[in-house]
Amino acid sequence: MVPKIDTSTDPQVGYRPAGTLDADALQPYTGAFGVRHAAHLLRRAGFGGSPDDIARFASVSMESAVAALLHPSTPDVPLTDFPGQSALFDPKRSRATAQLWWLDRMLRTNRPLVEKMTLFWHGHFATSIQKVPVQYMVGQIDLFRNQGLGRFPALLGAVTRDPAMLIWLDNRYNAKAHPNENYAREVMELFALGLGNYTEDDVKEAARALTGWTLDRNGAALFVPARHDDGIKTVLGRTGNFGADDIVATIVSQPVHQRFIAHKLLEFFVYSDPEPELIEQAARVYALSGFDVAKTVGAILRSNVFYSSRAYRALPKSPIELAIGTLRCLGVAAIPPNLPYQLARMGQEPLNPPSVKGWDGGPTWINTSTLLARFNFVNGLVAQTAPGKNGQPAVSAPNADPDALVGRVGMDPVKVAAALVSGVVQDDVTSAVRATLIAYLENTTPSVSVQSPLPFGPENYQEKIRGALALTLNLPVNQLA
Amino acid sequence: MKRRSFVTSALTVAFLGGNARVALAQVAGAAPPLPGFGAADPENVLVVVQMSGGNDGLNTIVPYSDDAYHRVRPAIGIPATAVLKLNDRIGFNPALKGLNALYAQGKLAIVQGVGYPNPNRSHFEATQIWETAAPDRPQQYGWLGRYLDHRYPVGAKPPSLFEAVSLGDMLPAALVASHVEVPAIGALGAFGYNAGRDLAEKQSAGVLYDGARAGQSPYLAMIASTARDAYHGGDVLRSETAAFTNKATYPKDGFSQQLALAARMIGSSAGSKIVFVSIGSFDTHAGQRAQQDRLLGYLGDGLLAFYADLAAHGLDRKVMTMTFSEFGRRVTQNASNGTDHGTAMPLFVIGGGVKGGIYGSHPSLTDLDSGDLKYAIDFRSIYATVIEKWLGRDPAPILGGAYPSVAFV
Repeated sequence: MVPKIDTSTDPQVGYRPAGTLDADALQPYTGAFGVRHAAHLLRRAGFGGSPDDIARFASVSMESAVAALLHPSTPDVPLTDFPGQSALFDPKRSRATAQLWWLDRMLRTNRPLVEKMTLFWHGHFATSIQKVPVQYMVGQIDLFRNQGLGRFPALLGAVTRDPAMLIWLDNRYNAKAHPNENYAREVMELFALGLGNYTEDDVKEAARALTGWTLDRNGAALFVPARHDDGIKTVLGRTGNFGADDIVATIVSQPVHQRFIAHKLLEFFVYSDPEPELIEQAARVYALSGFDVAKTVGAILRSNVFYSSRAYRALPKSPIELAIGTLRCLGVAAIPPNLPYQLARMGQEPLNPPSVKGWDGGPTWINTSTLLARFNFVNGLVAQTAPGKNGQPAVSAPNADPDALVGRVGMDPVKVAAALVSGVVQDDVTSAVRATLIAYLENTTPSVSVQSPLPFGPENYQEKIRGALALTLNLPVNQLA
Repeated sequence: MKRRSFVTSALTVAFLGGNARVALAQVAGAAPPLPGFGAADPENVLVVVQMSGGNDGLNTIVPYSDDAYHRVRPAIGIPATAVLKLNDRIGFNPALKGLNALYAQGKLAIVQGVGYPNPNRSHFEATQIWETAAPDRPQQYGWLGRYLDHRYPVGAKPPSLFEAVSLGDMLPAALVASHVEVPAIGALGAFGYNAGRDLAEKQSAGVLYDGARAGQSPYLAMIASTARDAYHGGDVLRSETAAFTNKATYPKDGFSQQLALAARMIGSSAGSKIVFVSIGSFDTHAGQRAQQDRLLGYLGDGLLAFYADLAAHGLDRKVMTMTFSEFGRRVTQNASNGTDHGTAMPLFVIGGGVKGGIYGSHPSLTDLDSGDLKYAIDFRSIYATVIEKWLGRDPAPILGGAYPSVAFV
């Protein structure tokens, strides 16, 4: 039996170390489904939510909550409508507009899992605007949005012909007369099999099969038969006159591919060091589903292990999860214009992964510089300013209204602190943290000497609830998804 | 003494490459390096200056007596009368007065014709190649990051949080390490927990981080401990650097001001050993002379002030500065009085511990590779020299191979 989420006020008590996997880890979870479970699901399968969002998910069964994420029945918000600039807004105009367009989708969509999977595939097929013009980057993000929850072989086939990918890994230059192995190598190493599961000869032969693809005058993918090597190739033990589709089919038919994808999905959705048995179980689910991403992710999101204490608050939030989660939590309606820059400081600028390997993620998100960037993003947001570059003056940011979280509880510091830790981190704090927040609100923090301290009241209410909100958002536990 | 014997044997390897390793180890054992005078020492400091955008080498170190130079650059070529002559063939761009002065002091090495096989002309990819020292395959960690990882294995924390720093908002690929942490400091005042005027909020954050429990979740413990470092780091940085006074007048441009901060980071108890600064953009596709000359002026004048400052603090022999750029530019000027992306270029190594002079020969302007200069010295040779002869580590595991060293140390 998988231990259930500990519901005491200390989230660390129930933490279970690695290496003790239960046999029914991927069986459907049948335990209680409350606010913590719903918040956990929304953080992992989306970008978190406001207390109202979380309460809405907590009011239905786990099965219904997962189904609402996997199969949203309401239409999504219109794509072209960017707050304040709806008519003029063109995501393909510049790097910044493309980044804001996508971040806006993450913030406002009512299909958060679609955007989350889009982010997953962006990290997986890490393509960068440093090399690829913006219109192709936008096209690739749309591809992930449209096919990211479909069958993986179809997705991989589409990525192989995606203009952004043809540019990014040079397959547009791959021709019979001068083969280019870049894509052939990465499709095996990074996208579908992993290092050590193919040979150098497999790369060379697959590159031959992938020849002929290039871009036409309008930047669309084009197959030019004269550039294609139509000789016999041998790739991963199969021999034939292969083209791109055969390479995709051959690669995904390798048994190791199932574990490769299962491992990556578990790392993203559950915890960063999944046990080999868990990877095997998820690989079986993936294979039985016919390589169906939605069915595999759905099984994970419904599983015992997903709701176990080992998975709860077990992943450092990525900068995008932290930023969008904070904005959603506070009900902010629009993306701060310099959010891409702030995300770069936190270590995850969208559309600009550091290399073809994507972001390392996990614990590497956290260091002193990136953590300060997170803290100061929150501080600026709550103070309605955003820091300028290189110590330049701050710029104004959209209003984050703490009243949404604490407006109903009046001037009682104990209730304000309770509303904050409940709304932001679902009470996953120790009593010492509550006491520190209450002392801050009451101006009685032991180490702080304030001249003529005011009691918590109308004179300092706005300043104090904003300060306490920033402190709560900046708690170490809120850095965990 | 242990460290010295390691340094000596490491020296031998890079001089001669892998094969001669055994035979020559005994010979070199006789001559240990002199401490503090350009000898390899892990306490030495390295400053890396990125000239971003691709600096045009031919208008930096000008082959002024070569007719071919004036033929291919009728509009943007620098006349012989204007260059600051190094010898009867080459001279500095006139904007490089500062570097000319450092050269006269014997503190400047010019390494000519630096590059690598199958050069890449994309800014992004070429920068990745230079910063990860990996032309053939993408590398996750930077060359300086790998140096730091080797010097401080898992569990061995550097003595200072600011052991290695990037003076800019972003961490460059060169400093990405697997486990050694490298802060990016855009400005002294900007590094720290910023609660505006709410002192109580700032102090309450300190109470929360100092009191955060380690717990059983490894990530929560790691985040809490990093939060403590981050929270106190800004105050520590400001208090440690406060006692240091710059003893030279730096020009007002941003690059020179970063060098003034670099001197504080190095000379104060912040104790930085690896410092990365950046100047740009050298991407001079149009109107090259005005843009490049302005930037080269900042570069030379800033570095001259930096070394005057370091010398006044008795540090100029402990600090080596090296420049790099992702590529040089095309030999022939384009139609916009600029130059497009090219290949090989010179780079500079500066310091009291550097053997000033000219290393390598100027690339030929007539023996070209599709209109581009041919390189003669692999950039990894420069890295190997710096790692081995200046920082005192074996460069082979860091660079993934042995490269012959250049004699500037």
